[in-house]
Amino acid sequence: MTRRLGDLSTSQIVLRALIIVGPVVAVLATGPAGHWPPWWMVAAVLALASGFAALPESPVGVVTFLVVLAWWLLALDDGLHTSVLVVAAALVVTHIAAQLASYGPAAMPVDAALTRVWVQRGIVVLLAVPVVWGLARLLRGDPDQPGIWVIGVAATLAATVAAGIVLTTGPAPVERR
Amino acid sequence: MSSQPSSALPEAHWRPTGALSRALVIAAIAVAVALLAGDPSLVVVAVPFVLLSTLGLVHRPSGTPRLVSQVDHQSLHEGQGTTSRLTVEGAEDAEWLTRASGQPPYVVMRPSSGYVGALLPGPVPDIEVSPRRWGRRMLGEEKVALFTPWGGYRFGPVQLGGQLVRVLPQTAPYDSRAEAPQPLGLVGAHRSRRGGSGTELAGILPFAPGDRLRRINWRVSLRTDTLHVVSTRAEEDTGVLIVVDALADHGASDGIDGSASSLDLAVRAGAAIAEHHIRAGDRMALRVIGRGGEQVGYGAGRRHLRRLQSTLASVRPGEIRDADDGVLQLRVTGGTVVIVLTPMLAESVGTVAATLTRRGVPTIVVDTLPADARPGVPNGTDLLLAGLAWRMRLVERATVLGRLAGLGCPVVPWRGPGTVDDVLRRLSRRAQLPRVVSR
Repeated sequence: MTRRLGDLSTSQIVLRALIIVGPVVAVLATGPAGHWPPWWMVAAVLALASGFAALPESPVGVVTFLVVLAWWLLALDDGLHTSVLVVAAALVVTHIAAQLASYGPAAMPVDAALTRVWVQRGIVVLLAVPVVWGLARLLRGDPDQPGIWVIGVAATLAATVAAGIVLTTGPAPVERR
Repeated sequence: MSSQPSSALPEAHWRPTGALSRALVIAAIAVAVALLAGDPSLVVVAVPFVLLSTLGLVHRPSGTPRLVSQVDHQSLHEGQGTTSRLTVEGAEDAEWLTRASGQPPYVVMRPSSGYVGALLPGPVPDIEVSPRRWGRRMLGEEKVALFTPWGGYRFGPVQLGGQLVRVLPQTAPYDSRAEAPQPLGLVGAHRSRRGGSGTELAGILPFAPGDRLRRINWRVSLRTDTLHVVSTRAEEDTGVLIVVDALADHGASDGIDGSASSLDLAVRAGAAIAEHHIRAGDRMALRVIGRGGEQVGYGAGRRHLRRLQSTLASVRPGEIRDADDGVLQLRVTGGTVVIVLTPMLAESVGTVAATLTRRGVPTIVVDTLPADARPGVPNGTDLLLAGLAWRMRLVERATVLGRLAGLGCPVVPWRGPGTVDDVLRRLSRRAQLPRVVSR
């Protein structure tokens, strides 16, 4: 749904600004770790993020995220720098902003109640990031155990399913009249 | 009054959202690369996306929702409002609902964008719609989408067809006391030229066989020694024929809140005149000179008024297909007042008005050309040339209007209800005088 900027509601403009800023912040986060990205990389991510902001439901978002992850992989030898927390947060914020922007037409203001729901969800999923990061820091330097990665991924998935079941079981739905 | 509801198309179904696809791809690639490259940092980045995609998948919907939209009214007057309601059934899997209403011309909405959304389960928000111009308007056309919790799946957007609502012209009733010039009917409110059992005193005449005894005027009878009776004038209804010139629509139309085009003025004036005369008990008829050539025969009563308003609301501008050398036959009978609502830019309408006036039919021309009307010209037309042609056309129009006035056909610009009052009064006075008419 490509629209002119004037057609967008204020809340939609804020969301799309977050979609643009998030990937750029994620790329620039390698700077404090000693590897500032070249200008063309920032420009490329900015262009992709702008396309993503214009079309929040399109595959441009996937490409943008993959470029950020590729740069992160190539730029740093020690990926467990504290900046990875910033990268994860920036990408999650971008993803949720795109999710909220795609709930309706560009001119439709974003509902406050829906925003609150997604802010809570964002906080919940981001809580897992420092836990995994801390775990990875603790295990760094230890010799690889056979199957440790598989067990880790399986445990993550199991935790996700459990969290889903817990979060799904809410109060009984209000009867509609 | 409820209209026929429209429901979702049967082929609509749930699909994964772009957000779910994005989260799945990022999570899968990041974890795979982390395994291959042995870089735990990608797992850290991938964890939120693993959570988001898994939670999105967990809420995979099973049922198919049924969406039914409905507009509260089938017929409205311009400026009135109605509500577009949406009924959702079988949407237990959904968390969020979005309604995006279409933006038909001359229709305003609340909220103004026509977009609303709500968390489910909860009340589905309504959209208030108000047509601002007469005609047939499609109301309630919208797209509806449903989303599951965690935004994993989306149902739609489903196109829901609206309902064609007849928008009647604004009613502006007025209380006219002007008499019809030549009433010729049975029972009505207008004083007739012939004697009868009315209330208006015509004179005191010598008693003649057949006179009612209760009408004897004893005071005059005693003074003159012969019986005298009070004579009164009959009160009759009249026939009113409204002629609407719909050969073209001149000027811009911004609906009921803005400027009015010539056809806007004609339709609203026609509706106001019709309402007034129907309330007075007169017989009304309508003839549209235009593409549709709509006609409504003589009749009275509220149902007939509704029929007249509906016909006026369906008027579309356009040339007549089989114009008979510019001469139109209106088949006007005696005792009828003809009110021609026209911008007087077509020769044929001027000819009709002149012919009727020469025949002695009381005819009033209501000028509906807006003061700021400008010609609509196609792209590439020389604007100076078009302006010159328009001025020439206006000069011709002024000549025609002058000639009509010279023939005794009053020409008045429409200034709202009551415009024709003074004219009808003068015509009524003139009708009492003997005159020679051509037949």
